[in-house]
Amino acid sequence: MSFDIVLVGVGGQGVLTIGELLFHAAFDADMPASLTPTKGMAQRGGFVKVELRLGREGAGPRIGERAADLVVGMERSEAIKGIPYAKQDGTFVLFDHVWEPTGVMLGTDAYPALDDVTDAIREATSNVVILNPADVPCVDGRAVPANVYVLGAILGQSALGERLDPEIVERILSDRWPKAADSNCVAFRAGLASGELALGEFLRTSPDGELRGGEQ
Amino acid sequence: MKRIVSGNQAIALGALRAGVKLVSGYPGTPSTGCVTHLLTMELPDRHVEWSTNEKVAFEIAAGAAWAGHRAMCTMKMSGVNVAYDALISIAYSGTNGGLVVYVADDPGVSAGMAEQDSRGFALMSYLPMLEPASPAEAYELAGTAFELSEAVGSPILIRLTTSIALSHAGVEIEQPVPPREIKPILEKDITRYTKAGSAICRQQHQSLIDRLEQASEWVHQRGLNRLELAGEPGGLGVIAAGAVNAYLPEAIALAEGMRLDDVSTLRLKTTIPFPWEETNQLLGHCGTILVLEELEPHVERAAHVAARQLGFDGPIVGKMDGTLSPIGELGVAEIVKGLASATGSSPTRESQHAILGHASGDGTSRGAEVLSAPRPITVCAGCPHRGTYLAIEAAIERAGYSKDNVMVTGDIGCTILGMNPPFDLLWNEVSMGSSVSLAQGYVHAGIDTPVIATIGDSTFFHGGIAGLINAIQHRVPLTLVVMDNGWTAMTGMQVNPGTDAAFQERGRRIDLEQVVRGLGPDSVAVVDPYDLEGATDAIAKSLGTAGGVHVVLAQRECAIQAARRGIRYGTTTVDPETCILCKKCLRVTGCPALSMASPPEELGESPEDDSPGRQHIEIDASLCNGCGVCVSFCPTSALKRAPKEASE
Repeated sequence: MSFDIVLVGVGGQGVLTIGELLFHAAFDADMPASLTPTKGMAQRGGFVKVELRLGREGAGPRIGERAADLVVGMERSEAIKGIPYAKQDGTFVLFDHVWEPTGVMLGTDAYPALDDVTDAIREATSNVVILNPADVPCVDGRAVPANVYVLGAILGQSALGERLDPEIVERILSDRWPKAADSNCVAFRAGLASGELALGEFLRTSPDGELRGGEQ
Repeated sequence: MKRIVSGNQAIALGALRAGVKLVSGYPGTPSTGCVTHLLTMELPDRHVEWSTNEKVAFEIAAGAAWAGHRAMCTMKMSGVNVAYDALISIAYSGTNGGLVVYVADDPGVSAGMAEQDSRGFALMSYLPMLEPASPAEAYELAGTAFELSEAVGSPILIRLTTSIALSHAGVEIEQPVPPREIKPILEKDITRYTKAGSAICRQQHQSLIDRLEQASEWVHQRGLNRLELAGEPGGLGVIAAGAVNAYLPEAIALAEGMRLDDVSTLRLKTTIPFPWEETNQLLGHCGTILVLEELEPHVERAAHVAARQLGFDGPIVGKMDGTLSPIGELGVAEIVKGLASATGSSPTRESQHAILGHASGDGTSRGAEVLSAPRPITVCAGCPHRGTYLAIEAAIERAGYSKDNVMVTGDIGCTILGMNPPFDLLWNEVSMGSSVSLAQGYVHAGIDTPVIATIGDSTFFHGGIAGLINAIQHRVPLTLVVMDNGWTAMTGMQVNPGTDAAFQERGRRIDLEQVVRGLGPDSVAVVDPYDLEGATDAIAKSLGTAGGVHVVLAQRECAIQAARRGIRYGTTTVDPETCILCKKCLRVTGCPALSMASPPEELGESPEDDSPGRQHIEIDASLCNGCGVCVSFCPTSALKRAPKEASE
């Protein structure tokens, strides 16, 4: 069974790392896979997109619009650029990190409100998961890597967890960064379990506390 | 062994498998990863280098191939423009050892500069070109290219597009093969290796045509272009070139219900030589032809010629009839659209999604994008170019002008980022080195404000130096600011002639300052971009001097490369009590290390942690290298810089 994933975010958030870890897990499991990063000219701080296609032998690297089984937005504003890829019956995971561009800080450009972004996402797809950056746990007073938390969350909260064994992903994670294995493990498992808190999250991030359709 | 490789790495490994002796190139996204990968490997008996420019790189490879070895040269599509003078000439001469040019095209322009279809170059110079559709094919066809090159005695182009060059996949990789042990060929034959006279040139033209003819036969024998006729005569025939082939099965599956049971296909790995025989068979069997190719309709034009010769009078659907666009990548959605148009059927519900989502730019899928905040690319925290832009701007003002009426030409590379906010300083970006020559044209045109050209170090060595020589020879009054950060930075930090000796692979460093002084401009000033006053003074002095060519060398190593070696120049801090949040530092420098400290509740901390509502500028210590450029713009001295000695 094929599974197509689009990840979008800002360079420096570890978007590509999420893609690489999933890609290596697929490779280890002998699953055909293709990983394609797209980043602009910026060394850091620019828009980044990663396309990961699993289970398709010999398929081209690009994922078409409305064709991704899973879209992951790592930053509120850039997540909007992932919406065109969302499949109606796929899953959209929004990690609601806010990374304001300079123009927003200077007050010359507008930054989108969370409600407007989630409304736009819900128009494209019915399964929406919103992750609050405040729920990324701390170890010894320091926040664990947010991208590893998101990695756990997408395995825990989308059909991806049925295609790729989270245990394999966790092993690859600790093999790659043995020194950070403990904090990465905390991040990964917290993400994996994040679904259990999903309803609470939603109520917290929705200012009026009103539950809208499509969340169940 | 199956390994994870990118398309770029697959080309490199395929060349090693083919026993390549020499690989040269000039960095250019998306092709850079090929030579970069080779430079990470221990390769005894082989030579790998970043050359000064693509023409130099290609000529080096050609020399090695003329001497009988296998050689490869790599570049991005714009690089072919530079190399082409040599490329077309050497095409007429042919080659002895296998000579392969790897070029990466960028349909959709996600990586670079131009939607330029390099197949046009191959067509003009009768050079066979292989077009792999995946990293696995790239690995295989890299080897095929060397075989074909030696079989017919012609240089061969191998072309990837961005998505394939940058995508990673598991590919079965075999052991590399050492370069052949031969005595280099020294063949003296002016009829082949020179262009001395009409008779020689006409003979070479004939040989060129003959070689493509032989290549056509070789490609046909090898079955590189695969024809599959299906169903009863009169059905649909699809010709798909290169990268498009990877999406064809997916698109046909999506188009189920479009009466596609009997679709015949011709899958091309070469547009040049054109597969006339297979095309004729397809035309003979089918009633309608759909041509799928990215960028220009080269295959489609040839299909029209074949149709005319055969008397085929069915429709040929593609770009020339307006169904598909020559702009952008060609993926599943476009193929489905083409299939629907060619079969005259309405797309199925599922396939309609694909088409609607993509081609029409309708409100539902792309509409929300207006919500996202603009994120213009700027230079990195601590980038020396920031100081140079600000110094140029200050010097223009000091000389009594405004940046809105002083021409500052730009050039290729990181230095062009001065076109973006907050600098908005540069007016143009054309080709490697063009800043210096364009500036001279503006001067000759008689504009009455000073003209400034800006260029980076690698771009100066690559193509700018000839323009400077011209300016000095012809006494064209202008100021050239060379922004020398010691690296070819934008493509991911490659070594160039001016890079510090410690990082030269086997080469030595060329002193850019000595090169410039040697040319004899009217003045040369060397400044540190972190010293805003000094840099501004030097540039303002040039602008205030009537006549003469003035060169200002702004020298400071790329902040990214310095940071990788742990270099910091000091510590810049903000005093939250004194910061009045005027944001001038942010507005003037746009430095990514500067931000506004978020209100406590957004961080999820309890409000007692900080006094609520008291915002101030914050510095990301992990990004800031203490360059101190922001400090001079702070009106309340809240920003302070402690030099390196005092820090840690």
